[in-house]
Amino acid sequence: MSLDKSESIQNIVTQSGRLAASGRSIKVKPLSKSRLTMRITMIALAALTIYGFFVFDYKNISPWQGTIDMLTNFKTMFLSPHLAHLTFWEGAYAIVVTLAMAVLTTLISAFLAFFLALFAAQNLSNHTVARSIQAVAAFIRSIPTVLWVLIFAISAGLGSVAAIVGMSFHSISYLTKAYAESFEEMDQGLIEALRATGAHWWHIVFQAVLPMSLTYLISWTFMRFEINFGVSVAMGAAAGAGGIGFDMFMASAFYHDLREVGAITYYILVVAFLLEMLSLRMKSAVRGKMI
Amino acid sequence: MHARTLEAPATVGSSEVRELLKVERLTKKYGEHTAIADISFTVHEGEFVVLIGPSGAGKSTLLRSINRMIEPTSGHVWFDGMQVDALDKKGLRELRRKIGMIFQHYNLVDRLSVIENVLHGRLGYKSILTGSLGMYQAQEKERAMELITMLGLEEHTYKRADQLSGGQKQRVGIARALIQNPRLLLGDEPIASLDPKAAKTIMDYLKSIAHTLNISMIISLHQVQVALTYADRVLAVRQGRIVYDGLPRDLSLERVRDIYGADAGDLIIDTGDRHVD
Repeated sequence: MSLDKSESIQNIVTQSGRLAASGRSIKVKPLSKSRLTMRITMIALAALTIYGFFVFDYKNISPWQGTIDMLTNFKTMFLSPHLAHLTFWEGAYAIVVTLAMAVLTTLISAFLAFFLALFAAQNLSNHTVARSIQAVAAFIRSIPTVLWVLIFAISAGLGSVAAIVGMSFHSISYLTKAYAESFEEMDQGLIEALRATGAHWWHIVFQAVLPMSLTYLISWTFMRFEINFGVSVAMGAAAGAGGIGFDMFMASAFYHDLREVGAITYYILVVAFLLEMLSLRMKSAVRGKMI
Repeated sequence: MHARTLEAPATVGSSEVRELLKVERLTKKYGEHTAIADISFTVHEGEFVVLIGPSGAGKSTLLRSINRMIEPTSGHVWFDGMQVDALDKKGLRELRRKIGMIFQHYNLVDRLSVIENVLHGRLGYKSILTGSLGMYQAQEKERAMELITMLGLEEHTYKRADQLSGGQKQRVGIARALIQNPRLLLGDEPIASLDPKAAKTIMDYLKSIAHTLNISMIISLHQVQVALTYADRVLAVRQGRIVYDGLPRDLSLERVRDIYGADAGDLIIDTGDRHVD
């Protein structure tokens, strides 16, 4: 950005600041140093974005034509889907494989994350232990799932084992954080009341913490299951783990069959829709019933 | 619950009943701030002690120092032959199951039923596995039903705790404390969130429990009037120190003003008709 530009930005900002100081308007959010920095950053980013559009290398493709081509491809994909390289039941079987990977990953990670989260929750655990677990989990979370899968592929080889172990790695750290936060929501008085009866820590976990946070745990787990389903599709292609993702990869990259890609997308869409329905049902069932 | 016969003559002083709790020079400091300082008193079996004093005077800290929910900085506590401040983890569990506790906000597990909440009072007696799974013995369940009936909650036995009114929740809290077979009950402002009618019911229950089951009570309260009506003995705390320890009838209006601060002249305190007799 040129110097005079940033100066003019500065001017705008200080001007609005002066307006508040004059006493004519009362600011609800006073312009603090951090807000000023934030605002300058946002304006700079907006300016850079607009600038970017003028200097892109478009390689003689007009953006307009490109958009139209893309929409045409979408039309072919979704309005005339067909299956050429696999039968309907093969497709159904492939999606079951993908679902199975997601289920297994979610089960493993929910189980392990529950216990890790107990030690990661500030109100149930030792401060240092809680912090350390949170820190490790944050580190694992910051590395994308695909990378974990590829890291485990070194020892397990490309395939479903590496995919499930790698996906679980990321899932565990995600659920640990989510569960621990649900546990921390709990009323401290309740823990105190049970401690005062002479109850053991594990008693408190299973008799108070679990019943009080069960709905949260279920919604977080289901949410992660939906994410895991999406990731399983991607892993089928990226890590050769099989399932519908692999078929989709073959259809698009190997056979260049847009219509089959469309058909497979419908498979995934239907399953995603069913999962959403199921999760809504489950949540309302849990809320309504006494648990 | 085993009805305890009053032990004849006095182990300490001129009292006729046995001493149950003895607090000696108890102090709790949070950094520079002193929550309670140099507190000493004794409580006898079946005695109904009410703890009064302004907010932040140290009532809650004092109550929690007795069952070591808060670790005192210095001083000693003896309870039923145990030196509380010297107990290890196992001993502490044994101590805590002999001391019931009730709270201003009841602290029940809202999502569980009344009977499950009551049975939580037995957790101190259970192994990790049976307690975690909520497996209780037949006698324990019978006792729970007895207490629920005694406290007039039988029609709510299988209701979820969050469907009850405040007064009913506190009665569940009392039942949870009583199923421990406690010898002492600590109450941290148990009626502060209740309307006057429910508050009276709770206080009546506590009073009758103290006398019929011979369970000592230390209950902190905000309402001086209620304290004077129910207490066998009043302990007043101000700025972490005991400023009054005696019979409710000897507590004059002037002393009450003293307890709550010098400029509390027009405090809403109604000492009632207690002084007429």
